[in-house]
Amino acid sequence: MTFLRKLLEFSGIHPDRLRARWVSSAEAVEFVHEISEFAEDIKKLGPNPLKVKAREAA
Amino acid sequence: MEFKTVLTTCPYCGCGCGLLLEVLDGKVVGTLPSKTSPVNQGKLCVKGWTVHEFVTSPNRLIKPMVRKGDALQDSSWNEALNLAATRLKEIKEKYGPDSIGVLTSAKCTNEENYILQKFTRAALGTNNIDHCARL
Amino acid sequence: MSQKIREHVQKLLAEKKIKGFLGLREEGGNIMPHLFCDPKELDHLSLGNWKKAGDTRYPLNQLMIRLTMNYPEETFAVLVRGCDERGLKELFKWKQLNEEKVALVGLGCPDELARTCECEKPFPDSLLDGPKGEKADSQKVARIEALDLDARLQFWRTEFNRCIKCFGCRNICPMCFCNECSLEEDQLVGTGEIPPSNPTFHLARAIHMVGRCIDCGLCEEACPADIPLRTLYKKVAEIISKEFGYKTGFSVDEKSPFNIIEVK
Repeated sequence: MTFLRKLLEFSGIHPDRLRARWVSSAEAVEFVHEISEFAEDIKKLGPNPLKVKAREAA
Repeated sequence: MEFKTVLTTCPYCGCGCGLLLEVLDGKVVGTLPSKTSPVNQGKLCVKGWTVHEFVTSPNRLIKPMVRKGDALQDSSWNEALNLAATRLKEIKEKYGPDSIGVLTSAKCTNEENYILQKFTRAALGTNNIDHCARL
Repeated sequence: MSQKIREHVQKLLAEKKIKGFLGLREEGGNIMPHLFCDPKELDHLSLGNWKKAGDTRYPLNQLMIRLTMNYPEETFAVLVRGCDERGLKELFKWKQLNEEKVALVGLGCPDELARTCECEKPFPDSLLDGPKGEKADSQKVARIEALDLDARLQFWRTEFNRCIKCFGCRNICPMCFCNECSLEEDQLVGTGEIPPSNPTFHLARAIHMVGRCIDCGLCEEACPADIPLRTLYKKVAEIISKEFGYKTGFSVDEKSPFNIIEVK
């Protein structure tokens, strides 16, 4: 993960767009919490720059 | 044992990139770009890089074959050439010369392509000749 | 041409210590890899210096793997620069080559070449001839790091957009020995697209260069689109060095951090 985040950063993609968390299938509440939190954090970073370029090109 | 690389020209398109065939004990086993060729300067396209694959491909035609029924069967040069000439003549007479088309290849030499277009135009009487590099 | 190297190889052949020397041959103005088994052939020996130092280098390590696969019992000698030796150290660890069957004939690289390559160590330990050069400063990576995130993405996507998926970078790499390459996997990269999935194709290759890339520069030389691949792989090596303390090709027994499985 450390490596991937730094490689993404070097390539121009914000490292916080990549996250790894361990959640057990029996922990439904924690799972929802993690995903919701991640979704909020990503929204603050703005749309995915790779998808933006694709839309601009189309 | 012997291992060497042999400088040759890529048979695909008209660029004529210089490449090195890796030859181990008389068998072509790999391809490398030639760094001293002014045309490509050590670079190749994906076709050039895989030249060694078709050279040793088991799918290559290595003897004359004729389709009898559903299957291709081993034949002789005489039988194959006679069949081709007879059938082409029949088709030309029945449907006209423009019903025949000829496809040649950038992998052929200039001389082979010249003969084929001469045959198509003078012998068959059509200008329906084209070539894979135009695609 | 190096008299020292020629004499050394002649001796190895005469004493039958090696079956052949894998080096470079000059013929008709062209330089190409060759296995010298007969000392008489050494008249054509070349060190890969055509118009400039080191401008006609080839992935000899890769050819060595092919030779030893077909002749596992024989011993061969091979011409190595600093980068080639780094490669061999890794290939021995990865068990692609047997160190007892490979004799190294070392050549040092001149300053100008070391600077162009920004080489960490432009000479092999088994140095026979050539200078023992200084480590060269790195600027290629720094130039990218001076840009902000958006500018970086713009830069890389423009570069990768020229890729024609010739696989030259992978084919010529002396460290790429996988029988099945993930870059050919439709589910990862997507076949039939030119340019290939941007930036997935190149980032996937970069990830696979962890613990493997020896910074020889052959990939960039083989790229028909002049994509600055070396800069990307240099950054990969920098991350691994800083975060995991591992430098590819410097140790004879330490394994790459992506190649260790600890069972506790």
